[in-house]
Order: sequence, then C-alpha cells, then structure tokens
Amino acid sequence: MPRTAIYHTTVHWKGEHRGYVRMGNGPEMDFSAPPDAHGHAGVLTPEDAFVAAVNTCVMMMFLWSAERFKVDLVSYECRAEGMKLIELDRTELFTQVVLRPRIVARSDAPGQEGTLKRLRRALESAVKYSLVANSIKSRLVLEPEIEIVPQAMNTTG
Amino acid sequence: MTRDPNDDLELTIDKFMFRFPKRLRYSEAGLWIQQEDSLLRMGMSDFAQQRNGDIAFATLTPAGTPVDVDDEIASIETVKVNMSLPSPVKGKIVEVNLLLQESPELINQEPYGRGWMVIMQPEDLTQDLGRLMTAEAYSRLARQQAEAELKP
Repeated sequence: MPRTAIYHTTVHWKGEHRGYVRMGNGPEMDFSAPPDAHGHAGVLTPEDAFVAAVNTCVMMMFLWSAERFKVDLVSYECRAEGMKLIELDRTELFTQVVLRPRIVARSDAPGQEGTLKRLRRALESAVKYSLVANSIKSRLVLEPEIEIVPQAMNTTG
Repeated sequence: MTRDPNDDLELTIDKFMFRFPKRLRYSEAGLWIQQEDSLLRMGMSDFAQQRNGDIAFATLTPAGTPVDVDDEIASIETVKVNMSLPSPVKGKIVEVNLLLQESPELINQEPYGRGWMVIMQPEDLTQDLGRLMTAEAYSRLARQQAEAELKP
C-alpha cells in the first residue's frame, strides 16, 4: 500500500472577489470570501470549506470506525464551528474547531453501557484517524450527544 | 506486574517510540512472553499494538484449548485491520484475560500490564524459551519491519 497520496483542486478568478473551484473528485462551484470580508453571500467560502473539511472527514471516519466497533448506527448529524482569531499583526487563524455530533444508535444490550463505550471509542478513533483532523493546527473539541434506542419491534406476523 | 522503566529497551522510529521490557521474550508475530514458574503469560508487544491501531475487539481462544505452534491464540479487530495472533509454543491455554471482553483498549493502554491476553502451559518450556527472541533481538526486528514500511 503506498504511503502517500495526492489530492488536488484548481481555482481560477472570475473577476471582482469571485472565483471558481474544480475539485479533484468532480464537483465544481463558485466561491468567494464571506460577506464581512468583502465577499459574496450564497457561495462556498474558504472558511466554510475549512470547517466542512474537518466535519466531513470526521464523519466519514466515524462511519468506518462505527462499523469496526460494530455500532448499529441510526443517525448522525454534526454541527461544526470554527473559531477565527485575528492576531495583533492582523494575521488570522482558526484556533479551534468544535464538533457537536448528535448520534443515535440501536442496542438491546442490558444497561447500554457497552454500546455507549464502543460508540465513544468509535468517535475518539474517528478523530484520531481523520486525515483532516490530524492535519490541522486548530484545537479540536468534541461535544457529542449520544442516544441509544432499543431495536425496532418485529411487527410481522 | 510491576516494572522498572530502566529495564525497558526503547526504540524510536520517526515520531514513534516503542518499549520492550528486557525481562520478556518475544515472538516474530509481535507477542511478548513472560515466564511465570512453569507457565507463560502472553500479550501483544508495544510495537505490534501501536502499529495495528486502536483495538475494537479481542477474541481469545478459550482456556482449556490445546494449541500447537502457529495455532491462533487470539484474533484482534482494530479500527484499521483484522489480525490473527499465532501461538509461539505448543501447549494448552490455561487462562485468558476476561477484562479484554469489555475493555480491549487495555491492550493499547497497558500492553505489558492489564492488557495481557493468555496464560499457557507449554509442553516443553526449555525448548520453547530457547526459540523466542530477547528484547534486543526483537527490537532489531521491529526496526527492520518499521524501516521497510517507511521506505518510499
């Protein structure tokens, strides 16, 4: 298995503060800066793309790790918030990204503690093995809400 | 299982550090083996556990099972891989670590302590111990394996 891989995107200027991005995996779209930074509303921004990169990568890794931990997943939704800091020299950085996943899983195991533990470990592993989460220098904060529901009743017969 | 950190060999490769207690013996498959009178306690080496990732499940061959050399004594499912751990000796499994059913992460957290896997009664202790590697020899093997993997 090769130990390195390359992913690519291409951007070009469309005039004013607008651009167009082609992603290596196919999608193409307009982008701009946020409106409060002389950009335009309604299109992708680098800030959103950064937060989305963390959020989507952790989710995809979670789907994998939940399978490996044999978690019977019902739903996953996660709001991610990136906090920007403007430094004294006017440079800017995302100091932290907060992930608030709401996860529902099924289990009929008594006490549910085993399922909860496996789910929490799956989430920790998702962050640990997420390529993007592993690559950023922002602090990553996990604030999960987890719900375990019983297996659906068999209604046949 | 108390230990003195000064009795560990430490191997640093890239950004990773691996510990190998000198009092133990090791198998090529990445098991550590500790003699306890006529029995052998076994677990996964620090190198093997770090290299294979977060452990989700550890299924141990039950106590009472006779095993030959290379028979499976444990199967491990990590976030990244499934692996089978072969017995380095011929004998019988006399005890398994029941803690690993609920807490397989102990193998990652305390590979030489509460993460032990099985205790075996070997058929020929002297011969078996002679076949196993010292910490120094296993450390050299671990370095070779790691460097082979790191090659571009």
